Amino acid sequence: MIEAHSLTKRYGAKTAVDNIDFTVRPGLVTGFLGPNGAGKSTTMRMIIGLDRPSGGTVTVNGKPYAHHRDPLHQVGSLLDAKAVHSGRSARNHLLAIGATHRIGVRRVDEVIGLTGLESVARKRVHGYSLGMGQRLGLAAALLGDPATLILDEPVNGLDPEGVAWVRQLARQLAAEGRTVLLSSHLMSEMAQTADHLIILGRGRIVADASVSEIISVSGDSVTVRTSEPDRLAGLLRADGASVSSTGPDLLSISDLPAPRIAEVAAGAGVVIYELTPIRGSLEDAYLALTRDEVEYRTSRTVTEARR
Amino acid sequence: MSATTLTPVFIPEGRDLSFGGVLRSEWIKLRTVRSTWWCFAILIALTIALGIQMSSALTFYGVEGVIPQVAVQAMAVYGITVSTDFGALIVSTLGVLIIAGEYGTGMIRSTLTAVPKRLPALLAKGLVFGSATFVVSVLAFGLTVPLSVAFFAGNGIEVDLGDTRYWLSLLGGVGYLVFVGLIAFGLGAIIRNTAGGIAVALGLNLAAPLVLGAVSGITQAPWLQNVQYFLPSNAGRVLFGYPANFADPFAPYPPATDGIWVMDAWQGGLVLVAWVVVLFSVAAVLLKRRDA
Repeated sequence: MIEAHSLTKRYGAKTAVDNIDFTVRPGLVTGFLGPNGAGKSTTMRMIIGLDRPSGGTVTVNGKPYAHHRDPLHQVGSLLDAKAVHSGRSARNHLLAIGATHRIGVRRVDEVIGLTGLESVARKRVHGYSLGMGQRLGLAAALLGDPATLILDEPVNGLDPEGVAWVRQLARQLAAEGRTVLLSSHLMSEMAQTADHLIILGRGRIVADASVSEIISVSGDSVTVRTSEPDRLAGLLRADGASVSSTGPDLLSISDLPAPRIAEVAAGAGVVIYELTPIRGSLEDAYLALTRDEVEYRTSRTVTEARR
Repeated sequence: MSATTLTPVFIPEGRDLSFGGVLRSEWIKLRTVRSTWWCFAILIALTIALGIQMSSALTFYGVEGVIPQVAVQAMAVYGITVSTDFGALIVSTLGVLIIAGEYGTGMIRSTLTAVPKRLPALLAKGLVFGSATFVVSVLAFGLTVPLSVAFFAGNGIEVDLGDTRYWLSLLGGVGYLVFVGLIAFGLGAIIRNTAGGIAVALGLNLAAPLVLGAVSGITQAPWLQNVQYFLPSNAGRVLFGYPANFADPFAPYPPATDGIWVMDAWQGGLVLVAWVVVLFSVAAVLLKRRDA
């Protein structure tokens, strides 16, 4: 459980995180989204005490991170895969971090196996590829078998197999009752992995809702291909739909379900070649929500933003 | 989403963060990078090589009469400790590297995530580095002593190894290397940049005494000469100096001075300790305050 109250971070005149409140619950994968510079990484850094908040508080499992007796068992974090001395081997890096909490060789070798680093674990990190470095960062995050995981762009640089592995891992960790907070710019990946989303824009919370609620912002639509687009458009508009022409014989219809469109067309004898319901995507919803962040207020709910 | 209320909250298991663990962590870090081994190997090689060179070259040639044993002992100490001028540069470089290097590579964020109270990490790192420097310096001097004694004997100079003061002076030389390393470590922790830290540390050890020495040589002002005692390099020379003058064996010691201090070894040590304490305090306050 991560709880932030009036959390604020200012760098000089610039406010990176502006008085935000949020809760990240255990048992769920919570996605942290937002454009570059929205304050995601800064917020994550404040959670584990790398940055000091300019105002407000943030606690993990009831206490500020630094006040825990066993920090690495409370939180595992991957904020920056480059947080490694490149002259040291992956195994020695993990042994050094683990030693602080008397985490021994057995667990170190376990996370090396889990992240698929066996073949390079004794080599110096200097020569690692982006993906290998990322796997080492994940190994370090998992080292303490922590109750809370904070992962900033965990799939950055991973191959498709690695991306799928991270997705399954995040789901599995949440199912075990852990708190999982992860950020990503890959919307399709986030839609598959997360249960809940917190979207930041310019240091403020733009939306804080379940994935399905957020996707519904973009709305569903139906694409229809027909020989008489003009006549059908008129009929559908009379039925309350909003219709736009997206091609010579193509219409995009919203606010009317697909079966009703088919009924209207059949009733009027309009020939339809194609009728495709289009689900709203997280990407569309995200772009709609972050298009002009300053218009949105932290208190604004998804339903309000939809109007 | 109703399933979430049924999911049991995960309770973590494992041992607590402890200072012993942090010490162990820093020890692993120190010995798993090559720069540590390079610096310590060079320190040992240099101490032995310079010790042999000086011990075979130093003589009382041209001095009439029976040389007082204190002058012999002073020469013997000098023959070994003269290498600390260079040894100090090596441990200073390593002292800056082990802390500023963490900032350069980003490792510091892993360190401070594991030890979020931060100060134990700084303290443990300093302790481990200081202890390692102590052990390596003792080893370097220990290997040099028999060689040095043999080469002095070759020139007819018999060093008295039963002289406690001789060993204390050598221990002072070890202490100087440890303190000067910790001073550089403190500077590295404050500056957080390897190149900048090394430049400042070497400036303090090399350039500052040269500049102050030149200025005080020109002005002949006693107070300016006394200020020099507060530089780590000069305080070190006081710490490991044997209380006798081998260059002029029959001159009274300590020499008559006009307003220039004569310091005892412990006072030199105190100056070095003060440097370490002040720099560590500044580093600790900054470490607590700054974003990592």
